This record gives sequence, C-alpha cells and structure tokens, in this order.
Amino acid sequence: MNPQELNDWLATARNWLQEQAPDYSGKARQGLTMDEDLALGRRWQALKSDAGYACITLPRQYDGGGGTEMQKILFEAEEKTWDLPNTYFGISLGMPVPMLLRYGSEAVKDELLPKAIRGEHIWCQLFSEPAAGSDLAALTLKATRDGDGWRLNGQKLWTSWAQYSDWGIIVTRSDPTVPKHAGLTYFYLDMKSEGVEVRTIRKLAGESEINEVFFNNVYVPDSQRMGEVGGGFKVAIETLMVERYAVSDEACGGISAERFIDIAARARIGSRPALEDGEVRRLLADTLVERQGLRSIHRRAMEAIAAGHEPGPEGAIRKLLIAKRRLLLGAAAMDLMGPDALLYDSSAAQSNDPVNAWIEAPPIRIAGGTDEILRNTIAEKVLRLPQDHRPDKGVPFNQL
Amino acid sequence: MNFDFSDDQKMLADHARQFLGETCTFDRLREFVASGEDYDRALWQQMVELGWPGLSVPEAAGGLGLGVLELCLLSEEIGRVLAPVPFFSTVCQAVPLLEQAGGEVADSLLARIAAGTCTVAVANPDQGHSLELGGNSCLDGALAPVAWLHCADVLLVTASETDGTAVLLSVELDQPGVQRERLAAQVLDSVSAWGAAHFDKALTTVLARGELVVALNHKLRLRSAVLLAFEQLGGADSACTMARDYSLERYTFGRQIGGYQAIKHKLADVRVAIELARSNAYYGAWALYTDSPELPRAAALARISGTETFTLAAEENLQVHGGIGYTWEANCHFYYQRARLLAVAVGGPDQWAAELLESIR
Repeated sequence: MNPQELNDWLATARNWLQEQAPDYSGKARQGLTMDEDLALGRRWQALKSDAGYACITLPRQYDGGGGTEMQKILFEAEEKTWDLPNTYFGISLGMPVPMLLRYGSEAVKDELLPKAIRGEHIWCQLFSEPAAGSDLAALTLKATRDGDGWRLNGQKLWTSWAQYSDWGIIVTRSDPTVPKHAGLTYFYLDMKSEGVEVRTIRKLAGESEINEVFFNNVYVPDSQRMGEVGGGFKVAIETLMVERYAVSDEACGGISAERFIDIAARARIGSRPALEDGEVRRLLADTLVERQGLRSIHRRAMEAIAAGHEPGPEGAIRKLLIAKRRLLLGAAAMDLMGPDALLYDSSAAQSNDPVNAWIEAPPIRIAGGTDEILRNTIAEKVLRLPQDHRPDKGVPFNQL
Repeated sequence: MNFDFSDDQKMLADHARQFLGETCTFDRLREFVASGEDYDRALWQQMVELGWPGLSVPEAAGGLGLGVLELCLLSEEIGRVLAPVPFFSTVCQAVPLLEQAGGEVADSLLARIAAGTCTVAVANPDQGHSLELGGNSCLDGALAPVAWLHCADVLLVTASETDGTAVLLSVELDQPGVQRERLAAQVLDSVSAWGAAHFDKALTTVLARGELVVALNHKLRLRSAVLLAFEQLGGADSACTMARDYSLERYTFGRQIGGYQAIKHKLADVRVAIELARSNAYYGAWALYTDSPELPRAAALARISGTETFTLAAEENLQVHGGIGYTWEANCHFYYQRARLLAVAVGGPDQWAAELLESIR
C-alpha cells in the first residue's frame, strides 16, 4: 500500500468510525454495568470484523482484516479518539490470538480464531504468579505428564479478564531440575476445564478486571502445547514481542494537557490564577515538551515499521513517560481543584477525568514492564550497560 | 509535520563530526584555555576552509547558499565538542540578520563572512544597556556582556534613536571610538569568551529601522532558541556518552558501576531526555525551515527541552564520575559550565515556559 492508498484507506476508516462509533461509545456506555458494557463491546467487535477492521493484521479467512501493521496502528490510533468498549479484547487479540495463529493446527484455527476476533470468545494470558512478575522465568505452576497430556497444578496472578475468558495461554514449569529458563512449557487451554478456579481481585478502586486463577489437577492435551517441551520461555518472549508497538493514546488514558490548562485557568493560588504560578507553568511546559517529543518519537517508530524494520526502544520510552505523566498531571489537577476533586463519580465515563487519571495510574507503571524494568531495558539495549547481577544464572531451578 | 534530514545533510553532519572529533579534543580545549587566546583561530581557519561561515550565505555573496537545516546539524556537532569559536554569533545569528536586513553594507558584510575575514558579535536585543545614538549615527555608552565582543570584527546591536525608533546597527569594532576588554574572571565558561565594550562617538551604520528591526529581532530570538537547542543536544549527547564510558571503566564492590541500577537508571533517564530533546529540536528545525506559524511554540519547546536535557546530562555526568568529576583534571566541568551558560544565554526555562503558554493559548 503506497502512502496515497494508505491515506485513502484511513479516510474511509475514519468515515466508517464516524458513522458507527457513536452508537457504541460515550453516552451509549454511560451507566452500563461491566457485563452490559462487555456485551456492547462484543457487538462492536463483530461489527468491526464484518467491515474488516477487527484484527487488521490477521487473515481475512479468520474474519481478520488482512491488512498491514501500519493500517492496524493507524486505525487503532483513530479508534482511540472514541471512548469505545475495547478494553476487554486488548489482551485477547493482542497476544494470545496472534500466537494461536502461529502455533495452532488448521482445524483449531478455523474453529477458534473467528470466535475470538468477533469477540464471542475472550482469551487471557496466564503468565504472572505470586512469586514471578518481572522475573517471569521464576514461575512455579507445575505441569506433569499424564498419558497423552499434562496435569497442571498451581496458581496464576494478575490475569486480566480471566473472569470472562473462554480460553487462555499459559506458561508452566515442566522440569524443575534444569536452570529456570530451560524448564518451561507453553500451552493453550480451555478456561472452562475442570479444576480451573477464577477469583476476581478487588482493586483499591473501580471495577476489577484482574484475577487470581487456581489450577487443581487441570488436564491439558499435549496437542495444545505450543512450542517444544522446555521451550516455553522462548514462546513467552515471542508472545510479548508479537505486538510490536502497542498503541496507546498520548495521555495514556489520563487527562490531556489542554484539560489541565482548563483546570489551572479556573483554579486560584492565593489571589492569582493558578496558571500564573511558576511551578504550574513548569509542569505544563514539561508536559508539552514531553508530548511533542513523544509525537516525533512515535512517528519515527511508525516510519521504521513502514520500512519493515523492528521499532527500537521507542515503545519502552513512550510507556515509561506517559504512565508517569498521567499520574503527575492527574494529581496536580486534583491539587488545584482542592476539595472539588471529591465530587468524583466512579460510575461515569471517565475519559479526561483527573481523579480517574490519578487513581488508575499506578498499575500502568507496573503492568507490561515496570518503570524499573523499562529503565533497565533502555540502559542495556540503548546504552549497552551490563545486565543486573543474576545469582540464579545456570543454577537448576530446584536448587535455588 | 513530517520531517527528517536528507542524506546529503546527514553526510555533512557525519563529516563535521569526524573532523571536529579529531581536531577539537579535550586536550585542545585545555591548550586553548592555557594559551589565553580569544578564540581558537586555527580551528576557525579550518572551518573557513570547509566553507562553514558562508554555509548559509547566498551564493551571490560568495557563500554556499545552504539553509538553516545545515546550520542545525553543524550546531549539534559544534555543541558536541564545545568548540571555542564564534560560530553561533557569526553564522547562526549575524548571517540571517544581515540577509534579512539587506542593503549594501549588509551585503558586503556577508561577503566578508563568507570569505572568512570577518567574525561578528551579536548583542542580545533584550539585554539592558546604556547605549545612546547621537547625530550621524554615532554611538555612546557601554555594552556587556556579549560573547566574543572583545575579539570580533563587527558588532550587530539594536539601539534607539532619540525619538525612540529602534535601529539595527553594525559597528566596526576596530576603530578609535571603541574600547574593548575581555571579561576574564567573571565568566563561568572557560572555553567561550565574553567581552565588554565602551563606545565614545563610535561610527556605526544603520542596517534597519523601526518595525523591521522589531520583526528581525523577534525572528532572531526564535532562530537562536532552535539553533542553541541543537548545540545543547550535541553537548548532552556527548556528556551522556562520557558518563556511560566512565561507568564501564570504573569498578566498585567488585563490578563496573555501570552494572548497578543506581547508575543504569540515572543514565537511562538522561538517554530518554536526549531522545525528547532531539525530537523537539527537529520540530523546531522544521518550523524554522518552513517558516511555520507554529514556530514560536516549536522554538520554546526545543529551547526548554534542550536546556533541561543538557543541564541534566552535564550534572549526572559529573555525579557518575564521583569526586574526580569536580576537578579541573577531569573533563566534566567543560559540559557542566557550558550547560549553564547555554541555559541563560537567550533566556532561561521559566521565560520560555511563559512564551510557550502564550503560544498555545
């Protein structure tokens, strides 16, 4: 697709969104429970699939869009400008589904991919455990051979949308006698299997998407193994890399710089408008500097993808900055609002709300690469500084 | 905005980096400081041979006729090595001022600059001074501090006529009516030199008058902000590399300090700031090149990002070096001082933050 064709395609997509999105976003979502919102989301997903806008990079034969990475990124960026019920499918379609496309048999793909792409099914990603977060390879959920399959025993944690999931991908420890990275095996499994128990975790605020999932002698056929026995870590890394460049809006779901300016223009510090305060101005200037800087960085990543290169560390830089900025701006806006910030309504649509920006910011700095891991990534990949000290290197897992 | 430098421009930058990397070393900076020279004349002469002073001078006046984007890239490379030459004032500031002012005197100055026979000091238009312009455009009063004022051939300065009309003047500095001195002890940066001048019925030429001067100075300020942002970017990148290299050499508690997160995360933050500063500087370059209405905003963003980044990189470079970083023997001070000097050169971050807000509201 040349740039002109891409532009035309995007213009058509934009028109389509303008026609369709209002019935699925903003006011249409107000006052809905999570279950109702999810149902709306499933309808939106099916509508997109019919129009070729769901899973744009996946083949048309599975109800994907049959398009390019560039089209996907452009469409998603456009979609972000609407407040659509997409959150339930983010992980499902972002990681497990592309992995199934790579590893599933033709029959399984024919059966399961369209259901996932159309939003009938949700897939979850069972990676983290109580003692394995950033250090994924430290996981302990056990997989033992049983006839033509495996038995799983143990616990997963922070599994997003597990309470709604039909299928999941999971990394297990199949051999504890070898060093930690070498003893892992990767499967997909039916979340309705006997012995799977999902418990939703109450968060400090808001409705919860996160769960702990217990595995009590759960049977998984060997035909659902993805990759080699003992090759699970490689497949896990492949999973995390499959979404080459995660699209998020530049305010990271928090408040925009313009919204902060509005709030600062109305607030007063002493007898003067807050917008005249030096500290407020510096915060705003830093926010704008960062936003403009990231726009160019984003564009460079897009150009790399369009030219068929892997994007560099741009994604890590972007996530590191926008998550923290969301927290800072949300908190600063609340400081300026004073007690009015207490008038927060947690059930309303929260787009551009300072309290929501602040209260929901911490998990973004933790999930999908903590700020600390991202700094390590930048230090090691860009500055080529040494890896951290790793005393577990080469030691059999059961001797740690 | 969709902007990147062309392959030719990148090649120019590569050549400049190689040339400056080989010639303008820390040893050379130290020799320059010890010599007490006004500026590094030998280095400047080499730049003249490469055609740099006339880079953006029109071909008709003997220059290469290239544009502001080439200046951006050269500024970055000059910032990287902290070259002690009057490049910024002569090439980045004076050339466009003269070109836009036009006229015979301006044209002849441009030709002299392109030929490498004239360096120029440019007074900051916002700078307070006690200059008075009398009859026959004779100048009286004092002016300080201005970079390279004590050694430049020509000064460009804005003054007011008796009725308050702003005029842009060019002053040949080698004349009986001008007394100059180098501000030695007062300056914070050992590898750039600032001077003071006293004028007593000094002869001047009026290059522009009235509204045109206001417009020229406005543009000068924005252009200076963008080009200095590139100089700051070069300095920051170079300071960050120096810190990284040292962290791989220096061992504590049995391993390279660059292996500890305290250092890794610090340098990652510097690296991130540099990426942002680069993006913002490019945005400024684009706005300057296309003469975009976004220029005031782009210049402010480039300027704030450049200032904060070079300051951070220079401070953290010194910190990573530990005690030796504060000595004259180590080279950290070159960046530490230059970063602060550039931070105040055309207005500090608070001032530019105010302008940024103005530009978006």
